[in-house]
Amino acid sequence: MSALTIKGRIWKFGDSIDNGNIENVMSGVDPEFKNKVKPGDILIAGRFFGMGASDEHAPRSLKEAGIGGVVAESISNIFHRTLINIGLPAMECAGIADAVNDGDEVEVDYLAGSVRVLRSGRTLTGDRLPDFAVQILAKGGLMPYLKNGGQFK
Amino acid sequence: MPMTLTEKIISRTADRSSVSAGDIVVANADKLYIKDLRFSKKEDAKGLYGVLLEVLESMGKKNVWDGGKIVVNLDEQPPRTEKRAEGQERARDFAREQRAVLYGDDDGGIGHNVFVEHGHVTPGEFIVGGDSHTCTYGALGAFATGIGFTETVGVLATGQIWLKVPRAIRFEMTGKPGPCVVGKDIVLWVAGKIGYEGAINRTLEYAGPGMKEVSIESRLTMCNMAVEMIAVNAIVPADERTAAYVREVGGGEYAPLASDTGAKYEHVHAVNLSEIEPQVAAPEYPANAHPVGEYKGVKVHQGFIGTCTNGRIEDLRMAARILRGRKVKPGVRLVITPASFLAYRLAQNEGLLDVFKDAGANVTSSECGLCVRPSLSAGEVCVSSGNRNYRGRMGPKESSVFLSNAATVAASAVAGEIADPREFV
Repeated sequence: MSALTIKGRIWKFGDSIDNGNIENVMSGVDPEFKNKVKPGDILIAGRFFGMGASDEHAPRSLKEAGIGGVVAESISNIFHRTLINIGLPAMECAGIADAVNDGDEVEVDYLAGSVRVLRSGRTLTGDRLPDFAVQILAKGGLMPYLKNGGQFK
Repeated sequence: MPMTLTEKIISRTADRSSVSAGDIVVANADKLYIKDLRFSKKEDAKGLYGVLLEVLESMGKKNVWDGGKIVVNLDEQPPRTEKRAEGQERARDFAREQRAVLYGDDDGGIGHNVFVEHGHVTPGEFIVGGDSHTCTYGALGAFATGIGFTETVGVLATGQIWLKVPRAIRFEMTGKPGPCVVGKDIVLWVAGKIGYEGAINRTLEYAGPGMKEVSIESRLTMCNMAVEMIAVNAIVPADERTAAYVREVGGGEYAPLASDTGAKYEHVHAVNLSEIEPQVAAPEYPANAHPVGEYKGVKVHQGFIGTCTNGRIEDLRMAARILRGRKVKPGVRLVITPASFLAYRLAQNEGLLDVFKDAGANVTSSECGLCVRPSLSAGEVCVSSGNRNYRGRMGPKESSVFLSNAATVAASAVAGEIADPREFV
């Protein structure tokens, strides 16, 4: 399984969580989350995930906690780009919040833009990532992408 | 093919004859803004310059794409932590070694204000910046958007950025703003009307005959808060006001651009500016905006006038109009932080700082100040002229922030509760 196809337990969060409250592994929303989350787990969020500041502290804390990927109803442009640039796959998928319960297992294919909920067997179709985002993720982030001869053409 | 103003700017910088919403393009940045915080070790143990030097080396390069197009600003003056002090030292190293433009000390203040006031925005430019409020520059007819730490390193190394052309929303303005109504009220009203769902990852275009009645400073506020609606950028087509301002601050020459007739918008909203009242955004979201009357009487512990949103001379004049001959209510704190040293000096020359001090306000040096530092205790309420009122933004999560224009902050500090500034003038 490549890093762009992941399977894992989900943690479900609500709408309108801003960058400041994501800082230190979602500690503004759930201070205990960082002790509960396990490497490879998948974060599901509602609408407007990561709005506000461009501070990279917050998205990096999710990566450092081992979160394997993010799927949200919608993600702020700055936050979404930053997740991809630090090598943490993230995509928007309308309907995801209602389709999963906390603790469900899902399989996310970031290349195809699909999410399969194992409990219900239902597959949701999200927004496919632009090619640049896929290439950057495949290298593990923008820095490794540029260091390995990647360029924007 | 007809294009919006934003699409025209993107197509020019992406070397394409035309672009439309959804296209993925590679743009060549005209300018890059970076704040000192990015040079500290807050986001990465190596700091921005350390990470950049590694990337440059791997690409066989020593220097950034074009130092003359990069503006670095020392936002926090003076630095109050060792990390910030060290970050500023790296920022100075970077500016010297890479020949970037550096502001700080006596010509400084908040970066976005400094960037605009020193003529770094020319209409039609494509500008990215390592801070979310970079979108402010759209007020002068430029495309401008904020980027993260890693992406800033990418632009420094290559001068390029890939992006998806955003869908556009147009606001067709008519009428004229009423008493005590400025850009802050217009943008909060817009946020309250369309919410995040209506703006997320879009371009917001503020146009129409009503924009003639909106000052450059108010336009800066309106575009500054685009990110508070989660938009990619906001833009006001350049007009006579823009031309006069750009001339005054020494910006570059430009050929005026406007959106084409027939350009594609997802929505066009008609807005009559005369119908907008002073607005207050209640906790915990900037889009939670309503007329000030709905919150009259809410007890206030602190007022804050400042920030890249509303710490300009227009805001300081509005506040002085309310505070002249009045006193801040005992037990209430009013902190006034002119957003740049230019605004500070203008306020000083006009005697406004004395008005503030006589009223019992605490006037501080120019910087981001309380907007980014805790100043409230649990249960306290602040009315702020800033841009964010998320949970815990100015203190513990049990404290709360209401957003308004500077006159409403001043009136509320005098009354000790949220007050309608129109009753004070």
